[in-house]
Amino acid sequence: MKVLTRIGFWLLVAAIGLFSIFPFYYAVISSLRSGADLFSVAYLPERLDFSNYVAVFERQPFGTNIVNSVIVAASVVALSLALGITAAYAFGRIRFRGRSLLLMTILAVSMFPQVAVLSGMFELIRSFGLYNTLPGLILANLMLTLPFTVWVLTTFMRELPKEIEEAAFVDGATPWIVVRRIFLPLMMPAAVTTGLLAFIVAWNEFLFALTFTLTNERRTVPPAIALMSGSTAYELPWGTIMAASVIVTLPIIALVLVFQRKIVAGLTAGAVKG
Amino acid sequence: MADVVLKNVRKSFGRAHVIHGVDLAIGDGEFIVFVGPSGCGKSTLLRLIAGLEDITSGDLFIGGERVNDLAPAKRGIAMVFQSYALYPHMNVYDNMAFGLEMAKSSKAEIDAKVRAAARMLQIETLLDRKPRQLSGGQRQRVAIGRAIVRDPKVFLFDEPLSNLDAALRVQTRIEIAKLHTDTRATMIYVTHDQVEAMTLADRIVVLNAGRIEQVGTPLDLYHRPANLFVAGFIGSPQMNFIPCTVAEAGQDGIEARLPDGGTVTVPVSSEGVRAGAAVTLGIRPDHVRLSGQGTLTGRIELVEELGENHLLYVNVGRERHLTVREPGDARHEVGQEVGLSLDGGFCHLFRETGEALPLLKPAGFPTSRPSAASTSIA
Repeated sequence: MKVLTRIGFWLLVAAIGLFSIFPFYYAVISSLRSGADLFSVAYLPERLDFSNYVAVFERQPFGTNIVNSVIVAASVVALSLALGITAAYAFGRIRFRGRSLLLMTILAVSMFPQVAVLSGMFELIRSFGLYNTLPGLILANLMLTLPFTVWVLTTFMRELPKEIEEAAFVDGATPWIVVRRIFLPLMMPAAVTTGLLAFIVAWNEFLFALTFTLTNERRTVPPAIALMSGSTAYELPWGTIMAASVIVTLPIIALVLVFQRKIVAGLTAGAVKG
Repeated sequence: MADVVLKNVRKSFGRAHVIHGVDLAIGDGEFIVFVGPSGCGKSTLLRLIAGLEDITSGDLFIGGERVNDLAPAKRGIAMVFQSYALYPHMNVYDNMAFGLEMAKSSKAEIDAKVRAAARMLQIETLLDRKPRQLSGGQRQRVAIGRAIVRDPKVFLFDEPLSNLDAALRVQTRIEIAKLHTDTRATMIYVTHDQVEAMTLADRIVVLNAGRIEQVGTPLDLYHRPANLFVAGFIGSPQMNFIPCTVAEAGQDGIEARLPDGGTVTVPVSSEGVRAGAAVTLGIRPDHVRLSGQGTLTGRIELVEELGENHLLYVNVGRERHLTVREPGDARHEVGQEVGLSLDGGFCHLFRETGEALPLLKPAGFPTSRPSAASTSIA
């Protein structure tokens, strides 16, 4: 019986693992094949053909697209965290009229489907003169990342013992110093987690990036991949698309692996009794 | 060094009034302890002095300067929190240096002060550790060290020992007393622990429901409580209270009639008291004597052995109980009938309003126990 339970458990683990890894695995396999091979089903790579990876960069400004994506995602993360932490301090620590109403409004913003706000956002971006620019994309993406950043960080801020802040005030710290020198280090785990999520959202964001850019040089990676064309209008360049997908997935995997170590649970241990 | 003066200080949170007009003058270098039951406003009062809460109305002076609108850091105070409130991500050295850094002291000065405080508190070897690597007692020392380095005019302690175990509490209590003798700084200490209050305080402030009930030296409060609340709050086990009526009010005191008919003459001023008035007689468990022909008789319901002495809970009828403290081991058993004698010289009398009638003896309350010779086993 015990053996059966163990076998069942591992079968379940294998099923979940297969389900989550197979699509990416198939992308990797496909990216290493070319020509007519692509249209036969194969689960193991027969030979390593990197020509697709070269083609990705040759046929379009994919390097520029990656740089654009990095700029947009990094700026979105930096802005979301800066605004999120300061907003969290206000929401978590300062009593003011309409606090919960404001929090609810922020949450409500994230409930609208992206498509619903698309045309309004387009007008907004254009009137700011940000159409077909990276700042325009950054601004639009902030609408997606700020609500959850603010909410998660506010919840976390509320959990931090109030006495630590008071001790800092008695020690002569200003609210800004408290946020920067006391709360920021304590909130690192939460900031890293939300920052990572914000990065993934901005990195994978497709609809805004597609709508608010015009030229290939200004596109981020997701629309660039979607708009890749083959040598003729009737050819879908699967190999190149797969190669591009693999390339842009790698930074995310790398980021998660790097920051996983930094998400140190229980950093607050030792602050108060216990 | 500074005195602290509160003038008609009030605090309300919205519609809830927490502090109702407190007047208090704390002398320079004095050790003041705020005691009271939970929710009496003692911590709030301390936080008002610290500047962590805004005073709703009234004035607060520290060292002669009105500080109502000054930020905590500008008031020349340092505070030790109940939960220590150390900065968890900084090591002990940085925790202690933070306040000085904020005050823009030079590196050399910070280093000298932190190391001096660490030496004083014997935490020199812990300077590189993070708070989570420290024991409760060590964290408390760091919290005190953080207060010391700022060289404050007034130290504020908010129940600093309540998270420590019993042995460590006694030790730290002694260290705080020593700190006071060494620095001669004004100290305000909040606790709900009577022993801490009695042992540490120059003067105790007893608070109840946002009002000061009495201010005085520990022995003053113990021997001459101003009202029923203070009488019941100071001293453990609690003072016994017996509702009585005044049989006769004379020059030498008041003859109080107990509910069961016996009388006790208590040497208190009888001014404004007429025969027949309802009063409450108070006597501490240490002063009730067991005797053959006592003023009261009752049945022992519970015996608690404490080693150096023991407590008897005696039911004297009508669901009323008296606590008696006797030295040594118990010589009685549950269910035994005993006689109790109440020596008027050890009793307090309180008016119906709770206010104590002033004791007639000016020299102070007798400090010895009633003579052992009169004690007999019933």
